[in-house]
Amino acid sequence: MDFEEQARPAKNEERELVEFERRLQVAIRRHEAPLGLKSRVMAQARARRQARHGRGWMLQRIAASALLAALFGGFAVYHENLEHEKQERQIERRKGEQAAEQVMTALRITSKTLGKVNEHLAENAK
Amino acid sequence: MIEFPNRPKHAEWQPDFEALVEEHTSMVFSLAWRMTGDRELAEELAQDVLLELDRNLGKMKTAEHVRFWLRQVTMHRASDALRRKRTHAASLGTDVWEELNERHGLMEASSLNGETSLSARLEELLATLPESQRAALVLRYQEDLTPEEIAVTMKSPVATVKSQLQRGLKLLRIRAERTLKEYVRGL
Repeated sequence: MDFEEQARPAKNEERELVEFERRLQVAIRRHEAPLGLKSRVMAQARARRQARHGRGWMLQRIAASALLAALFGGFAVYHENLEHEKQERQIERRKGEQAAEQVMTALRITSKTLGKVNEHLAENAK
Repeated sequence: MIEFPNRPKHAEWQPDFEALVEEHTSMVFSLAWRMTGDRELAEELAQDVLLELDRNLGKMKTAEHVRFWLRQVTMHRASDALRRKRTHAASLGTDVWEELNERHGLMEASSLNGETSLSARLEELLATLPESQRAALVLRYQEDLTPEEIAVTMKSPVATVKSQLQRGLKLLRIRAERTLKEYVRGL
């Protein structure tokens, strides 16, 4: 048996394999996508985006409401503090006025007492 | 590992979901169908994968990245679905591949002729191969990927992929020669 005869079955085998691969390639070409699959996917994607957009809008509204509530709350607290400070200042002022009146009364009493003491001393000196 | 670097600003790629769906639905559906052997399940899987693409659209860097991502996610999802199906079948006492073999037997008895029938039968036989070999063959012959690209997609070593391709092809050929009269006549 010469070399060519020995090599023939191997060549046939190789040819058969190549042919089989070609047939397989033809057999497993891509299938067409089923009718309606693409439109179904697009519809679901759109619905998901809209839902996400809706959720985003809702979150924005909640955030805006919370911000407004915080602003109003802050203003109310500030206003209350302002009123409180004003009242405290008024009380302080009243207390100051009362203290001043008391000092004036004390001075008046002292002055009167001193006057009497002076009169008494003058009488004794005569 | 395939890398998908960000392109410079002037050449920035903008993904258009509708165009991507138009371009890739057939690929995703075919991969899912060939891997699961179940048309309805494949349709469901394809829909899920494409909607997941929509959710991850911002992460896609190039058109090639999208194609790679879709193939990878589809193969993983199909694999998960098969696992679930096997578990379910085992709980019912049936075998997924027995089911496919029975279907193949029915097809053989039918009167399909010519290249179309041969293709259909080859596809049926492909469905009876072990999952890893089927995955390698589908990516090689449907998607025209090289063993290196298949290895990246399947996250397997190249040597493993090459061996799966060789074994799968051999097994498929043996089964085809044994069972497909049209194929033998065609040689």
